[in-house]
Amino acid sequence: MRLPFGWGDKAPRSTQKPVAGAGHDKGVMAFAHTAEVIRAEAALRGGGLEVRVMGPPPEMRTGCDMVVEFELMREPQARRLLAQANLAPVAVAPVRAGMLEPVSLFQTKDFGPWLMVRAANMKLTVDKASRVIVNISGGGCPDVPALAELLVGQTLDAAPAPLSRGQTLCAYALELAFREAQRQLPERPRGRP
Amino acid sequence: MSAITKTIDARGLACPQPVLIATDEMDAIGCGRIEVLTDCGASPENVGRAAKAKGWRLVSSSEDKGTVRLVLEKE
Repeated sequence: MRLPFGWGDKAPRSTQKPVAGAGHDKGVMAFAHTAEVIRAEAALRGGGLEVRVMGPPPEMRTGCDMVVEFELMREPQARRLLAQANLAPVAVAPVRAGMLEPVSLFQTKDFGPWLMVRAANMKLTVDKASRVIVNISGGGCPDVPALAELLVGQTLDAAPAPLSRGQTLCAYALELAFREAQRQLPERPRGRP
Repeated sequence: MSAITKTIDARGLACPQPVLIATDEMDAIGCGRIEVLTDCGASPENVGRAAKAKGWRLVSSSEDKGTVRLVLEKE
């Protein structure tokens, strides 16, 4: 079976045969560096595509610990957008039977009144009732203390998006955790409990 | 210098639990002087930051045999 982009050199072919109708709607792209994943996500989203950054399936690990999941039917558009951004994935494949699903980058832990969302190496903890960020930890990048200073004490709506203030991979991981926390703790309309 | 209102022994707890327990106590008592004991590496900085966000201040920080003692205060 010929894959849409073909596998990159580093990624082995699956030995399993695809099953018709099973999981052919999504594809994943792997890149050489995480910085390219960040740029690819921005380019694809900017072009109107719905994409998600995920952990790669084991068969597709190429050194970068993130892949971009996209709608396979949008492949030509994705290819154009990436080319315009001077990006080329090292491997692209449909998510199909025989290939393990990409894994969520997120881990959440419920601490009763608080919810902790972990994305890669960053953890963000939010007061569930007030949606105030009470703690940010993890990382090791130089901009983490400044980001934590900016975000802790702010609500998920008032806080600046981490990637708007930081440039490191920690800022990116924190951005993912921030978005996931916003998704899991949506703002309730006023007047409702 | 006012007396310690409450001591929070968060030794053995991983981040973010020391921060959460300290935050909970700050909310509960409103003002006063809290002592937090922690042996989690990242917690002193994080507890101090959470305290500042709530209008408390970190009065002192000292370390002895792997345990960090933080004193937080709000008048």
